[in-house]
Amino acid sequence: MTTTSLATTKFTVINTHVHNIDGVAKVTGRATYTFDVKLPNMLYGKILRSPHPHAKILKIDYSKALEFPGVVGVVTGKEDTLGVKQGIWRRYQDLCDEQILPLDKVRYIGEPVAAVAALTEDIAEQALDLIEVDYEVLPAVYEPMDAIKKEAPEIHEGFERNINVTRHIEWGDVDEAFEEAEYIREDWFKVGGQHHVSMETRAAVSDYTPDGKLTIYHSNQSPYYLQALMAGVLGMREGDVRVISHYVGGAFGGKFELDGAIFCSAVLSKKLKRPVKIIYTREEDFIASKRRTPMFYYVRTGVKKDGTFLAREAKVFTNGGAYTGMGATALYLTGFFHSFPYRWRGYRYDGYRVYTNTLPSTSMRGFGAPQAMFTSEQQIEWIAADLGLDPIEMRRKNSHYPGYEVPGQARIESCGIDQCYDEIQKWIKEKGKLPENRAIGISACGFMTGGIFNWFDTPYAFSAAMVTINQDGTVELYVGAQDMGQGSNTTLAIICAETLGVKMEDIKLHASDTDHCPPDLGAWGSRQTLMTGNAVKMAAEDAKKQLLEFAYAHAHIVSKTGLNIVYDLDIKDRWVHNVARPERGVDYSELVKIALRGKEGQKIVGRGFYTPHRKGMISPAYSYMLQGVEVEIDEETGKIRLIDSLTAHDCGQPINHLGLIGQLEGAFSMAAGYGYLEYMPFEDGQLMNPNLVDYKMIRATEMPPTAVAEIDTYEPEGPYGAKEAGEGLTNPTAAAIGNAIFHRFGVQMKENPIRPEMILNALKEKKEQKKSGKKNK
Amino acid sequence: MEKQLLTLTVNGQPYELYINPKTLLVEVIRDHIGLTGTKRGCSTVSCGSCTVMLNGMAVKSCSILAMQAEGAQVTTIEGLEQTGELAPIQKAFIDHGAFQCGFCTSGMIMTAQALLDENPNPTEWEIREGIEGNICRCTGYNSIVRAIDATAKGNYKEV
Amino acid sequence: MIHDFTYLKPSSLKEALTMLEEHKDDCKVICGGQSLLIIMRQGLLVTDYLIDIKHIKELDYIQFDAKAGLKIGATTTHHTIETSDVIKKNYPVLVAMENKLASIQVRNWGTIGGNLAHGDPSGDPASVLIALKANIKVGNAKGGRTLTLEDFCVDFFETALEEGEIVLEVQVPTPEAKTGATYQKFNLLESDQGMVAAAAAVTLNGGGKCKDVRVVLGNAGPKPVRIKRVEELLRGKGYDEKLFAEAGKIASEDCEPVTDIHASEEHRRHLLGVLTKRMLKQAWEQAKG
Ligand SMILES: Cc1cc2nc3c(=O)[nH]c(=O)nc-3n(C[C@H](O)[C@H](O)[C@H](O)COP(=O)(O)OP(=O)(O)OC[C@H]3O[C@@H](n4cnc5c(N)ncnc54)[C@H](O)[C@@H]3O)c2cc1C
Ligand code: FES
Ligand code: FES
Repeated sequence: MTTTSLATTKFTVINTHVHNIDGVAKVTGRATYTFDVKLPNMLYGKILRSPHPHAKILKIDYSKALEFPGVVGVVTGKEDTLGVKQGIWRRYQDLCDEQILPLDKVRYIGEPVAAVAALTEDIAEQALDLIEVDYEVLPAVYEPMDAIKKEAPEIHEGFERNINVTRHIEWGDVDEAFEEAEYIREDWFKVGGQHHVSMETRAAVSDYTPDGKLTIYHSNQSPYYLQALMAGVLGMREGDVRVISHYVGGAFGGKFELDGAIFCSAVLSKKLKRPVKIIYTREEDFIASKRRTPMFYYVRTGVKKDGTFLAREAKVFTNGGAYTGMGATALYLTGFFHSFPYRWRGYRYDGYRVYTNTLPSTSMRGFGAPQAMFTSEQQIEWIAADLGLDPIEMRRKNSHYPGYEVPGQARIESCGIDQCYDEIQKWIKEKGKLPENRAIGISACGFMTGGIFNWFDTPYAFSAAMVTINQDGTVELYVGAQDMGQGSNTTLAIICAETLGVKMEDIKLHASDTDHCPPDLGAWGSRQTLMTGNAVKMAAEDAKKQLLEFAYAHAHIVSKTGLNIVYDLDIKDRWVHNVARPERGVDYSELVKIALRGKEGQKIVGRGFYTPHRKGMISPAYSYMLQGVEVEIDEETGKIRLIDSLTAHDCGQPINHLGLIGQLEGAFSMAAGYGYLEYMPFEDGQLMNPNLVDYKMIRATEMPPTAVAEIDTYEPEGPYGAKEAGEGLTNPTAAAIGNAIFHRFGVQMKENPIRPEMILNALKEKKEQKKSGKKNK
Repeated sequence: MEKQLLTLTVNGQPYELYINPKTLLVEVIRDHIGLTGTKRGCSTVSCGSCTVMLNGMAVKSCSILAMQAEGAQVTTIEGLEQTGELAPIQKAFIDHGAFQCGFCTSGMIMTAQALLDENPNPTEWEIREGIEGNICRCTGYNSIVRAIDATAKGNYKEV
Repeated sequence: MIHDFTYLKPSSLKEALTMLEEHKDDCKVICGGQSLLIIMRQGLLVTDYLIDIKHIKELDYIQFDAKAGLKIGATTTHHTIETSDVIKKNYPVLVAMENKLASIQVRNWGTIGGNLAHGDPSGDPASVLIALKANIKVGNAKGGRTLTLEDFCVDFFETALEEGEIVLEVQVPTPEAKTGATYQKFNLLESDQGMVAAAAAVTLNGGGKCKDVRVVLGNAGPKPVRIKRVEELLRGKGYDEKLFAEAGKIASEDCEPVTDIHASEEHRRHLLGVLTKRMLKQAWEQAKG
């Protein structure tokens, strides 16, 4: 870059072709995951799991296991834990309901009951068979609609009809708005669960040392949460627990709560004073982690004949499984995003999260919104068809716009949904007439950029960052954010380099270690680019300001930059220069040395933090998108093939270009899987496909092209105008596939994943209806 | 159980190990030799994270008894770099952002390398079919396909 | 967890058969291990001795002779079959089938002998090979015998192999002139195991009428299911799409698929009907040339 172009170039690092900063480690096998950690004197742990969906634990006898050669120790909830009922909703104690190793009752098949540590994994596994547990089996219930019945068994004491959480959202006069409606439509949907299937299964290595300190290597998406939660259950001080999560093999919303691996390994290590490693097998990961929340969705929508949206009412019953997890948030967000991206005069949502004796459900990429979109966006398509309206234009005229306020909930600053409609319209038009077995389906949606809620009850800022500058100009950036693959390390380094005016290779990022990094709520709800990004920007600005103070005061620099009394120096691309005359300047490292001497050898330290203020109830900013998917469906077999796709996407100013494309494509594969493949059938509380043979996921041969049309907007609350990208992209695809099927055959798919058999059944039903309809006439 | 002698070559380095014959090749690579770049993501031979090259062929090292690799030449992700220089496929993965969490990446790269060794000019569909034994939960595969394609086109050849 | 065993590595076929004779039902054969190790890991199979035949070169061959037909040694890998020029030329349906059998890693190491001996009704090769009238040669220390592949497949994960016997060779006759053979499985992922599958082989006479035909269904019962009623229906008839549809209907009746989480019995029957219809039509068109 020539110095003269500095004045005109908006960015030197942001949205350029920057490589992932963990790339070399990851493509050479050097990256060490928790799965790879091996400590001296380490033991291997295995967990005994409940074979019953609901049972009292009467007695656990592990004496034979202890005698087994190579077994070093066994722990149970009753004998070795404080029995703390924990949960991530720390501010609401009644929602802290999971002991991990329960003292007297198991509530789902696969729930931990005891754990063994031994010299090898094989020995630990064999020892599990020697533990005798007496259970009193209790009646169990698996579906929310059964669990809310009066006669249903009680899963947690004090929760009437097994209702774990309720959420209510309402604005406007809903009933009046319905009265005005000229057309009303109501539908019931059954929206499926989905497993995160991170390629690294749940994994932990705990190392409790005789000085009373605990170090844990753990695969997670928020080291600070895990540190705080572990301190709570072990009765330790947070500061004595260190959580390290350097490389994480995927998380997707499934790895910020306590899991059996971290809990049991820590309890074993604390008892035995030796490091203990627990790695879940894929089967354990399926049956005993958590999942996306399955939901029964009732939707009633009232519109005018010209397609003006008036009123909507939704009722949702979710299968919460055995514990709360993050499910309470998912329950709220599904109701909120069900209104998106549209304006409703009256909107009412009632959500009920119901305990059942199944694997707990929790957050997963999209956090309730994919379920909401599957129902909302299909029903909207049907309404447009019922009224003979153009589905895109109908959506457009009801959509959010910049400055719109979702009554009592949120204020929308940037919003590019209108341009999204243009892009998809263009795409559909260019496609022209499709072959007979194909159709295009679309779906709109929006998503949050981080949550404002503080159910975790943290006293800390939501995000914080620190920047220090070494004598050679290299930069140490400390963040508490967690990179689980989504690329936050790279994005934050980009923001730091851009702000400070240095190059990517100058940044050394430190994260994923609670001993060395500031607390941060971690990677969930698409919060890191905006929240941690703002903290990083502030820290880098702070450091830069301190550097420039020395520049302004230093005669040599003053003469080199030709600075007059207007204090107008900047640093870009390692060049300290006069903004008006960018060719006049000095090298950044020269200034760093001057500053270091000026501070008597102390490094410059920049500090930044971010907590959202005055941003409504939900989130500081919202992304918007519209997706079109071209689908081929075999009329005789019901087989679906995805042919092509375009996502028009408003994520504000893109920061990390490669990372953004990766988020889009990755989200698409997960969302497409949710649409027609990924499915978790249970029989009597038992997951029927807990392996990667029977749980089908998109593979390279199933992925269509995934083009993106980036909509240029600027989000004032985000660093450099950025907002969410990645999680929201999981929302539209299932609905878009459903809509394509609707356009191909005129059948309405009210359940996902949409499997071939369901399509054929719907076709059959349609034919029969037609026949009987004819007869009736 | 009586241990048996296994000799094999991994990344050009000969090894003599005494192992329980039920030991899988992936366990020898990771636990006995200590090359942890090779991962495991399932117990049903479904995910491909454990892919290595055995006498030049891509195989899933979780589905092979180590004893069956007697006398074999095994190449793992750690063996792709030559004297500190990344292999073209590794450079391509970085340049195309063909990984996110990185957990599938070692197996994916080994599968890709074996594919290109056998078929230096694959079509896009051949690339997709070639990596379909490997699950990547993060990327959606398209960036991986682009990286392999670019490597085949010679874009990352050593100078 | 895999249970301990003693690993035996015979250096020749003869030695392998002797070991099998010696250890009788205390032993198990491993070839590519692609199927075996999964069930051993699940603890479903425990054995004292594991006899490794993977490296036995005597069983790793592909021979073709227009008169004697095709012979494939038991330890030949799927990938060797899929890339064999003589098979490409004379049995393209086998190559197409192998192409979609699992991933390249599994095809590189898994073998045809292991696949057939495993007796999985959702396995791909058996249906196609039965449609091509294949025989299978098995043997033990005392000698060998040859039987039709159809007879070899007995039940879910059960074959006609007797104690001490292993699969030695698959034999496929040279198809008659004017023969077309096709195979398709129904799955949601490109090379996944089939929810169901259908193979068809059609031979036409000089007048373009059906001289001989076989329809074999995969994952449609405890073993590959030959639909003889369809064969009777088509023999002597000319090309007729209505007949194919009729054949599909018969096929969907004459099979015994099960319900599982992937598909109901009813859906499987329906799919088998559709596949039968399509495969017959394609095979016929191929046979016409
Ligand atoms: C992920 C995955 C996907 C797959 N997908 C498909 C698919 O789509 N279609 C399909 O058809 N198959 C599929 N398979 C199965 C695969 O084809 C078989 O696993 C493989 O061919 C078996 O060969 P092997 O040499 O590995 O047998 P092994 O696993 O070694 O043996 C299998 C069984 O056969 C016995 N055996 C092996 N060789 C002989 C012999 N010569 N004589 C007697 N007994 C013997 C063993 O004792 C064992 O009981 C898949 C497998 C995996 C792991
Ligand atoms: S670990 Fe999944 S295929 Fe080997
Ligand atoms: S990069 Fe995470 S699984 Fe592929």
